[in-house]
Amino acid sequence: MIVSKKIVLIGHFGVGKTSLIRRFVEDTFSEGYKVTIGVHISKKTVIISEDQLISLIIWDLEGQDDIKKTRPTYLLGTNAFIYAFDLSRPVTFENLKSEIHFLKKNYPNTPLKVVGNKMDLVNKEYLKQYNSIFNCLVDYFVSAKTGSRVESLFYKLAIELI
Amino acid sequence: MNQDEKLNIIKDILLTDEREFVSSIEKKIKILEKTVNEKGNLSIKVDPIIDIKLKEFVKEIPNNLGPTITEALKKEIADSQDAVVEALFPILGKMIKRYVQHEMKLLSEKINTQVNNTFSFNRFFRKAKSKASGVNESDLIIQEQSNTKIEQVIIIEKGSGLVLAKFSKNKMADEDMVAGMLTAIKSFVEDAFTKESQNLQYIEYDLYHIHLQNFSSFYIAVVVSGAYNIIFKDKLEDRILEFTDKQKITKTLKNKTSLTKKLEEFFKNDSI
Ligand SMILES: Nc1nc2c(ncn2[C@@H]2O[C@H](COP(=O)(O)OP(=O)(O)OP(=O)(O)O)[C@@H](O)[C@H]2O)c(=O)[nH]1
Ligand SMILES: [Mg+2]
Repeated sequence: MIVSKKIVLIGHFGVGKTSLIRRFVEDTFSEGYKVTIGVHISKKTVIISEDQLISLIIWDLEGQDDIKKTRPTYLLGTNAFIYAFDLSRPVTFENLKSEIHFLKKNYPNTPLKVVGNKMDLVNKEYLKQYNSIFNCLVDYFVSAKTGSRVESLFYKLAIELI
Repeated sequence: MNQDEKLNIIKDILLTDEREFVSSIEKKIKILEKTVNEKGNLSIKVDPIIDIKLKEFVKEIPNNLGPTITEALKKEIADSQDAVVEALFPILGKMIKRYVQHEMKLLSEKINTQVNNTFSFNRFFRKAKSKASGVNESDLIIQEQSNTKIEQVIIIEKGSGLVLAKFSKNKMADEDMVAGMLTAIKSFVEDAFTKESQNLQYIEYDLYHIHLQNFSSFYIAVVVSGAYNIIFKDKLEDRILEFTDKQKITKTLKNKTSLTKKLEEFFKNDSI
């Protein structure tokens, strides 16, 4: 059996949504920044077990500094959200709480993973500063550049969706 | 004044050139003249004078009356802008829609070359086909121009853009990604025109025509190669309606395997 699920990545501009997807789908990374315009669709099939496959249809949305500006029709029928922010740029997580609140309120039954990206750019001291934000809100600290925990983020999400 | 009348006025402003204007008035006056003559109420002596006066009058119309009429219309339009917009909206809507479609096409191509990875519709379609059939791409391009063929049929869930069933004649682009991309484009374009609640029905991708037909919870995308014209479109529409009716597909929407089987059986021998 193969099932398909729609995963949507959202978050501010340049936090690394496209990079995370490229890391997961193609296992590549590039330093260059090419803004996503509109939507970009990718697909990866994850093998859960011998007779259980799941195709993740991943919607890479253009960055938005306010989640309310996201075109709602893009979010219809989503099976899981990944909300990404840039650990190295506080502007991208200053409003994290209200952004998450917005998603939970409007899509209460859709799984959501909150992901801090660019882990390679920050150290422990720096992270401690923002403990109050990160401790209770963030599910994954990842790096699209090094690939750290990217695979496990998508893989675990896939299992949850079956 | 209703919308149609308004529209006619605007059409007149845009389309009628002054000469036409003059000659139509001239015709009307000739008829008038004739009537007057026939009734014999005016003597032969008066006629030449009338003639000259008429000629002068007609000649002066564009100068004297023209601006007045234009001015009056301008004012009328300015005073009832909403009504004019209402009247023009369906026409403009379609034009803008075509424009947006075109832009979206460019956009998705731009994204593809930028990100330089997964997806460029036309190249993708052709490459996949070229690989599968062993015919080189440029030969395929020429071949594709000639006969109209259904290449791929995808039943797509509205909103999520997930594939409910699919059928391809040849190895085509990945249905899951096509479905997602189409749904995103559809959302974008239809959002822009909520007022009319119009549905996007057609997208062109270089050599491929993508026919979209809407149902309540899903839509059907048919990728067509070769010439796509009104006649073909009508037949295709009927064929799809026949499929959805006869196969009672709303009842099998949840069952991907059985729906896919039905789709294949119905479209594999098509000769629209
Ligand atoms: N050091 C580092 N840089 C990263 C990482 N992930 C992404 N970047 C860089 O951050 C920039 C933006 O990455 P994108 O993946 O394009 O960001 P995005 O969220 O898709 O941006 P928009 O499409 O504009 O919303 C690029 O220059 C990437 O190379 C990471 O984990 N570490
Ligand atoms: Mg991006």
